[in-house]
Amino acid sequence: MNASVLRLVLRGSFAGNKARLALTVLCIALGVALAGAVHTLHASALAEIERAARALSGKADVEIRGPRSGFDEALYPLIAKREEVLVASPVVDLEAPLANSPGTLRVLGVDPFRAARLQAGYVAGSSSANFTWSTEGLDASNAWLTPAALARLGAQPGQTIALRSDAGDVHLRIAGVLPSLDAGGDAAVVDIAAAQERFGRVGRLSRIDVRLRPGVDAAAFRTALASVLPPGVVASAPASIATRAESITRAYRVNLTALALMALLTGLFLVYSTLALQAARRRQEHALLRALGVTGRGLSFLIVMEGALVGVAGAIVGTLLGLAASRAILRRSGTDLGAGYFRGLDATFAPDPWALGAIALLGVAAAAAGCGVIARAASRLDVAAALRDRALDVPQQRSGGVIAAACLAALGAVLLLVPPVTGLPVGGYLAITCWLAASVLLVAPACRGALQHLARVRDPVAALAVAQVRHLPGHLSASVAGIVVSASLCVAMAVMVHSFRVSLDAWLQGVIGADLYARAAEEGDTVRFSLEQQGRVAALPGIARVDARQYDRLAIAEGAAPLTLVARPLDATILRGFQAEPAEPPPATSEVPVWANDAALDLQAWRIGDRVTIPVAGRSIAVVIAGRYRDYSRTWGALLMDLAAYRRITGDSSASDLAIHLRDRSQATAVSAAMRAALPEMGSLALEDGTSIHRRSLEIFDRTFAVTYALEAVAIAIALGGITSSFAALAWSRRREFGLLRHLGLTRREILRMLALEGAATGLLGALIGLASGAAISLVLVHVVNRQSFHWGMEVHWPLAALAALVLALVAACAAGASWSARAALRDDAVRAVRDDA
Amino acid sequence: MLEVRDLAKSFGAAPLFEAVAFGVAPGELVALVGESGSGKSTLLNILAGLERPDAGSVHLAGQALPFGNDEALALWRRAHVGFVFQAFHLLPYLTVSENVALPLVLNGVPSGERAGRVLAALQSVGMARHAGRKPGTLSGGEAQRVAIARSVVHGPRLLLADEPTGNLDEANAAQVLDTLRSEVKRSGAAGLLVTHSPVAAAAADRVLRLSGRHLAAA
Repeated sequence: MNASVLRLVLRGSFAGNKARLALTVLCIALGVALAGAVHTLHASALAEIERAARALSGKADVEIRGPRSGFDEALYPLIAKREEVLVASPVVDLEAPLANSPGTLRVLGVDPFRAARLQAGYVAGSSSANFTWSTEGLDASNAWLTPAALARLGAQPGQTIALRSDAGDVHLRIAGVLPSLDAGGDAAVVDIAAAQERFGRVGRLSRIDVRLRPGVDAAAFRTALASVLPPGVVASAPASIATRAESITRAYRVNLTALALMALLTGLFLVYSTLALQAARRRQEHALLRALGVTGRGLSFLIVMEGALVGVAGAIVGTLLGLAASRAILRRSGTDLGAGYFRGLDATFAPDPWALGAIALLGVAAAAAGCGVIARAASRLDVAAALRDRALDVPQQRSGGVIAAACLAALGAVLLLVPPVTGLPVGGYLAITCWLAASVLLVAPACRGALQHLARVRDPVAALAVAQVRHLPGHLSASVAGIVVSASLCVAMAVMVHSFRVSLDAWLQGVIGADLYARAAEEGDTVRFSLEQQGRVAALPGIARVDARQYDRLAIAEGAAPLTLVARPLDATILRGFQAEPAEPPPATSEVPVWANDAALDLQAWRIGDRVTIPVAGRSIAVVIAGRYRDYSRTWGALLMDLAAYRRITGDSSASDLAIHLRDRSQATAVSAAMRAALPEMGSLALEDGTSIHRRSLEIFDRTFAVTYALEAVAIAIALGGITSSFAALAWSRRREFGLLRHLGLTRREILRMLALEGAATGLLGALIGLASGAAISLVLVHVVNRQSFHWGMEVHWPLAALAALVLALVAACAAGASWSARAALRDDAVRAVRDDA
Repeated sequence: MLEVRDLAKSFGAAPLFEAVAFGVAPGELVALVGESGSGKSTLLNILAGLERPDAGSVHLAGQALPFGNDEALALWRRAHVGFVFQAFHLLPYLTVSENVALPLVLNGVPSGERAGRVLAALQSVGMARHAGRKPGTLSGGEAQRVAIARSVVHGPRLLLADEPTGNLDEANAAQVLDTLRSEVKRSGAAGLLVTHSPVAAAAADRVLRLSGRHLAAA
């Protein structure tokens, strides 16, 4: 096959099927665009986090980081005096609620003289020309803002900002802007002593950034430091926060990208059915080319090239669409797609050309692969027979489908046993792919079986429809396959999301046991309830009981996601609410019992009954894993500890949240008002009743999955578009048949009904096979993908009404699509249609 | 030019024909006639390398057809065979001249040379003025004359015509047969015309009848 022939034949091929090819290109483009947009948004978010982390850490080689509550500043001189250290810069890093508007502001307390040696941006560009740290920088009332913070707050140098703290509101004068920290995100830089004193962190540090002397190996230094650091303080590579963000969000990002790629997979079947039908229509043309001397391999190449060119066009359009969409979304609503991982992040548009290239290539490969089967069948064309016949059917695999499907199903089952790879359920994804492929392979035998058992019908129009479906088993199989893929995915996602929602609902009912919840501040970590404030609340009339809660972030190991420690009163009722196993607290011993969530057990490889050491308040505390509990609010490790034990260990009696049980639930509003009056100094106090938290949690869940629903809708739309397009092409090829039927006395309406019945039969077969395949895939999503990605355990719940509605909708859409697509073909004059030899 | 030796073909246990042997000289047009189902088209397909015989061999210009190798047969057909079909089989999306040029394109003839040869072929069948038209706008007779031009444009040694007048009325059939005959003479190819029409057979230099599994002169 030489280039001239290729050009000649492809030109004709594309010219003759403009509308259908455009639709196919659009479907591929949609798949590529979705995957590209999702990836670009996440890549932009991660790039921003990394840029911010690097901008703030400057030339640091090592960062020493402690728990949320910080660590003793006595560690600083020990580090700074080490001979490997050139400069060490202590940092207090906290998130303070804004006093006069919602939201928080990151406050970085630094020692300006040391910080400047690591990151010159901390002193560069002050608004004052004769700026000196000794006079301005060390002034506890001054703050320097990054340009991003200045823009968000809408403030000007010289103005004052107010932040919430345990010690009362902190007023800071904006002494200047730090333009060199432009990439550092939203932050205010203050003198470290001011940060410690004004935000109640005296004697505590959050971090020490270290610059090593030339020639010192950073990894060896970190290892050497491990024995010196107190429990819960770890040394890691700089900007490890970006790595952690990448790691924590990886499963979510990959899952969303995988879902977007499923739309591409649906597009593959559209390409297959479009080009298969086209190949069927062009059977005589292919036979002629073979008769004129084109080899079988040449013909295969020609067909694969057609698919690849469709893929290239789709990939180009899709990549551009994806870039445009992600840019628009980023400008309008940021990089977060509903799950909240990147909420509030003002990221710069940063597409990843390699990843976009890979997604585009997948689009091309999907299109070319869709043609592979057709090319194979076309290369084996019986030339002499094809030159005589005017067959319309799509070539189909005659044998081996059931065996291959069984092998793929078995392989998928084995893949389910594969443990997660870098936290990703690779085995689960591959199993889903295998089972999808198996269900597609089963389509042809299932269609043949269904056709054999199709009952005789008396209605002549229905009988004609049945005869037509029987006459074109290949077309039926190709159309059904397209529906099976999208229906499987929709069913699987519907079952998984429903199971998740029902499980979450039940869990929320269990964990939200109090009538009213009070938070010291909606966001941030600088405001807490003191013991005295807790007492004031408990003494209010109408309040039966107040349960305090405190949280800490425990650094377990370098590079690992921190473990959240939730300290709260624990009894059998609360443990049952958390669906803990066992739900009874163990008999009191000298050991401290903790309950680990599924993520902690998975990530730390802990088992119930294990005795482990955790770093709490700078001490190594031996605890026993008394049981597991379910925690849908965290995808990483968390531990439940009784509040009394926590207070005993830490001596910290403050609380972040209060769960308030009322004597009379109807008095919630009055009690809320009384609380605000009793705590006048807590301007950031946030109160919410249990029902509202329950409702809001479900709303967040629905918002998180809104993008999932959108991606599913696109997959279904692509499949329906493909089916309609395929029926339209078939209807056009059957103009003569329609003309003949008109000659025989059938009305246009009867022919349309016949086509609607054909479409409905196709939709029903596809929906039923998709239902079975989707149900199996949903089990993989629930028990493998969700478990390995997010460490969420849940029970399977079947959304029967939604599934029935999906089947009905698919059948109706296919019937309507088939009938609608034939209207153009039926517009032809019946006599002309019969004579038409095209 | 064409020499067929002891060809045999059967479908399952039922023999279609056996011991078929004949030759066609350069520039000679031979008609192959016979009842429907006698195996005329199958014999034509074997001569074109589209089907395999059960026994026997086919030689063109002294070279045996490589029946065992599908790719080699395709390349052989590309270089040495011209086809005329009952249903014309012109590609609807190509113009008349592009359709005629197709065998030249397949054989890698440079574009500069192609135009002249296409024009000459179209002129010889009287279709040069329709070079820019699409097949859908041609009458049956015109389409078949274009198909004849396509069959001879690359100078094949064997020209096979399968019921070329089957879809045409008498006047057009006569014109097409005349064109076919003159093209065979002009090109010096061995021509084989499969037909069940006595009128078409009469246009040939010689008539062979396939009947009762054997080939005989009519």
